[in-house]
Amino acid sequence: MPLAGLLPDWAGPVFHYILETGLPFTLKIAGVAVVGTVVIGIALGTLLTIRFLPLRAPIRLYIEVWRGLPLIVTLFLIVYALPQTTFHVTFQPWVGAAIGLTLWGSAQVAEATRGAVESIPREQHEAAAALGFGWLGRHVFVVLPQAGRRLLPPLVSLMANVIQNTTLASLVGVTDILFAAKQQVERLAAPPPAGQLEQHGFAIYGAVLVFFFLISFPLTRLAAFLERRLV
Amino acid sequence: MSLIASFEWSFIWENRGVFLDGLWVTLKVSAIGIAGAFVIGVVLGAARAHRIPVLSPLAAVYVEVIRNTPILVQVFFVYFGLSEPPFNIRLTAFTAGWLTLAVWGGAFNTENFRAGFEAVPYRYREAGLALGFGRLMTFLNVTLPIGGRIALPSSINTYISVLKNSALIGPAISLPELTYQAYSLESVSFRATEIYFTLAVIYLAVVWVLSGLIRALEARLALPEAKRVRTRRQQRLREAV
Repeated sequence: MPLAGLLPDWAGPVFHYILETGLPFTLKIAGVAVVGTVVIGIALGTLLTIRFLPLRAPIRLYIEVWRGLPLIVTLFLIVYALPQTTFHVTFQPWVGAAIGLTLWGSAQVAEATRGAVESIPREQHEAAAALGFGWLGRHVFVVLPQAGRRLLPPLVSLMANVIQNTTLASLVGVTDILFAAKQQVERLAAPPPAGQLEQHGFAIYGAVLVFFFLISFPLTRLAAFLERRLV
Repeated sequence: MSLIASFEWSFIWENRGVFLDGLWVTLKVSAIGIAGAFVIGVVLGAARAHRIPVLSPLAAVYVEVIRNTPILVQVFFVYFGLSEPPFNIRLTAFTAGWLTLAVWGGAFNTENFRAGFEAVPYRYREAGLALGFGRLMTFLNVTLPIGGRIALPSSINTYISVLKNSALIGPAISLPELTYQAYSLESVSFRATEIYFTLAVIYLAVVWVLSGLIRALEARLALPEAKRVRTRRQQRLREAV
C-alpha cells in the first residue's frame, strides 16, 4: 500500500478491522434498506392516491407512525420488543436494523410518491384510459414514468439519509462500521497487552465521518443537479 | 388476544417516574438544541442570503459537512473525540447532547432561513433602505420578519427532527433522556414489549401533538400578504362574473 508510510503504526490494523468486520454489515443493511424503501414506498404512495377510505386509512397510519417515531425507537421495537411478544419473532440484529430502516424510509418515500403522482394532470390518466389501459397499466406505463421525474431528486437525497442512518444499527448490537470503530477506539485505550493506552478516538471517528461524507456528498449533489434538470 | 394479555400495565405505572424523568431531560435537551439551531440558522442563513464575504463560504462548508455525515458519528466525535489531547474538552453528556443537536439543526436551519430570506422581494429591502434604515436595521425590520415567516414551515420540521434525534443521543453517550431511561429499565427488568411500546406511544404523542399545534400556529403566522393576494384574486373573479 503506497499510503502505508503516511499513516501512523496503529492505524493499519484498525482500519483493516473496520473495513473487514464493519463494512460488510453496513453494506448489507444499506443494500436491503435502499431496495426495500424504494419498492414499498412507491407502491404504498401510489395506492394512497386511490380515494377509497379502507385502503387509505391503514396506509396513512403506516406513514404517520413510522415517520413520527424516532428511528432508534423503531429499531428497539423490532430487535428487542418483537421477540418477546407471543409471536416470538426473532431476527438477526442486522436484519432487524434493515427492516426498521425500511419502515422509516418507505414511509418517507410513500409521502413523496403521493405528491408526485397527484401532480400529474388528470388528462394524462384520462388519455391513458381512453387508449384502453387499466388502472395498473395506466400507472405503470403513463403516470409513474412522469411522476418519476419529480420523485427522483427527493429519492436520491433520501438514499443518502438511509445510508447515514445505517449507523443506528450499532446501537442494537450490529458490528457495523461505527461499532467496529468504537471497538477499536476502546481497544487502543486499554492497557497492554490488549491495547496501547493511546487515545485515537478523534482520528478514528473523524475517519468514519469522512467515509460517510464521501458517499453522501456526491448523492446530495446529484439530487440538487436532478432537481434543477428534471423538476 | 394473548399478545395484549401478556402486557403488564401495572409495571409501566409503577415505573412512571422513570419515564417522566426521561421525558423531562428529552424536552430540556431538545429545547436548548432547538434554541441553538434557531440562532445558528438565522445568523448563517442571513450570511448566506446576503453573501457576506468569508462567513458565507464557511457556512456553506459547515452545512455540507453536517448534512452529509451521520448525527450518531457526530455525537461520538463531540463526546469522545474532543475529550482527547490535544483538545481535552471534556463535556458532560448533557452539554455534548444539546451541542450536537444545535449544530446539526443549525445546518439544516441555515438552508431553511437562507431560502426564506432570499424569497423576500428586493424592492422590500429597497423600501427599507429608502426609509433611512441601515443594512442591519433593514434586515431586522424587513427581511427577518418576512423571510422568517416564509422559512417557518421548513424550520419547524427541522425542530421536530431535532427532538426525534435526541432519542439516539441518549443510548449513544448515556444521556438519561427518555429512550436511554427506557433502555436502562429494560436491561434490569427484561420487559421489552411493555417498555418499548410505551416509549413509542409517548414519542408519537409528543410528535403528533407538536405537529398539530405547529400547523395551527402556521395558519396564524402565515403572511397576511398571501391572504390578501388570495382575496384580491377572488374579488377580481367576482367582478369578472
